[in-house]
Amino acid sequence: MSSFELICPAGSPAALRAAVDAGADAVYLGFRDETNARNFPGLNFSRPELAEAIAYAHARSVQVFVAINTYPQAGNLAPWQRAVDDAARLKADAVILADLGLLAYAAEHHPELRLHLSVQASAANAEAIRLYREAFGVRRVVLPRVLTVPEIARLNAEVDVETEVFVFGGLCPMAEGRCSLSSYATGLSPNKQGVCSPASHVRYEPRGEALASRLGGFTINVFGAGEPAGYPTLCKGRFVPGGGTSSDPAYLFEEPTSLNALALLPELKAAKVCALKIEGRQRGKAYIAAVVAAYRRALDAFDRGLPVPALDLEAMVEGGAQTTGAYTRAWR
Amino acid sequence: MRDPGFMVQDQAHETAPDPRARDVEVQLTRAGLGVARRLGDRAGGLLFDRLLRILEARHPRAFAALGELPDARLLIDPVDAPAALLLRVGPTLALRVCDRSAEAEATVRGPCARLLDLLEGRIDGDALFFRRELSIEGDTALILALRNTLDGEEMDLFGDVAAAAGPLRHALPVARRNAGRALDLLATARRFAPPPLRWGMTMLERRLTGPRQGA
Repeated sequence: MSSFELICPAGSPAALRAAVDAGADAVYLGFRDETNARNFPGLNFSRPELAEAIAYAHARSVQVFVAINTYPQAGNLAPWQRAVDDAARLKADAVILADLGLLAYAAEHHPELRLHLSVQASAANAEAIRLYREAFGVRRVVLPRVLTVPEIARLNAEVDVETEVFVFGGLCPMAEGRCSLSSYATGLSPNKQGVCSPASHVRYEPRGEALASRLGGFTINVFGAGEPAGYPTLCKGRFVPGGGTSSDPAYLFEEPTSLNALALLPELKAAKVCALKIEGRQRGKAYIAAVVAAYRRALDAFDRGLPVPALDLEAMVEGGAQTTGAYTRAWR
Repeated sequence: MRDPGFMVQDQAHETAPDPRARDVEVQLTRAGLGVARRLGDRAGGLLFDRLLRILEARHPRAFAALGELPDARLLIDPVDAPAALLLRVGPTLALRVCDRSAEAEATVRGPCARLLDLLEGRIDGDALFFRRELSIEGDTALILALRNTLDGEEMDLFGDVAAAAGPLRHALPVARRNAGRALDLLATARRFAPPPLRWGMTMLERRLTGPRQGA
């Protein structure tokens, strides 16, 4: 039996097929609307596409989880409830939810549907997780990317719920589901409209050999000639602190870098983590195929007690650099 | 470092070309742009209309999605090719060869080979952008919508065109398999050609495909 389930992203039917073929145990995806936290143009699944995706995945013994992980807008619950109804009707293996009301709706109307708690709920302590378990029957919690591995181990010792952690991809350093940085800059919310740094508010401007990235009218980074570029997210912006008295802009929260926790497999297993998640529903199928295949090889080697092969994926990640993020952050 | 983006070739396309065949396809694409520019608006336009119809028949989902976008123009600029392309999305979908300074709501610039890989989903656009091999300007949402729509397809430009060519479609896999050997023969012939002929061949190549990057 494998040490971990490998949970992989898909933003399109082609990406889903790539993930399944490359060795995913489960694929997570969203509907083509504001009910999921990757609501980008041209991305995600219609209902017929989800039906086809589930048929393709199930025929290969791969599960499909549907992320409905934004927060419904007051007075407009219907799109979120319909998403839960349709995921259940189409035989999704689980729905990934964050909102308390939606969890209650799913538990009441679809008691047979497996509920996972989204990272967007930012459930980071045993009391909160127990509440989700007892109130709604949540079977798995996706942990926020702010915990150290020892904290995850202590948490798992205290709760009777499966835990899933991010191991690769874009790194959100904030308390997810509660971050308003992008909302402040653009007026659109990652937590309500499903768009962090919405493309409609992003502009890239060449400045000689440099490249400036702007979000909602704010310049948030200027990449020098040949310097790897990053996403236009405020948490990875470079700013001049102190009212502009410093001469050199610096990263305040996090540098453009990508999470890679491959080196922590033994510790994550000892911490009784159940599933490893790869981030990147917004990425192309080439990325998904390459990353999933590399992680599949690594996990298979780990399960056989063999040395875990290096991933060699630096060329594909944000900033061209990788980190173990909060899992090993000394200051925490 | 190898390019991980190419790991999906065999999964995505049964008749995926080997690297040397791929190089030929890139050269043909660049040459095609050069020829289209010389044909002028009318004949070149007919050529691209036909190409779009072929691709639409093979990828109706993607074309329906492109048709639903707001009316906008995207400049696709292969920096090492003799001309650029202007793609109009929205209700009046059109593709035309153009000058690389043409007005557009958004621009994507990169080497021809990378843009072709991107069109066919063989490589990840974000990775190219992070590495500064691809640059974008203007309406980012339009670029993202196009990228995501195309990435959702399993497009193979030469395969799709060959498939519309009746019995000739069987020739493409053979050509792709034998491209390496054919190129070796061509290189040998070129080595033994008299200098004026060799020089003429080089000039013709440059005229058709534009300057090679790094050359």
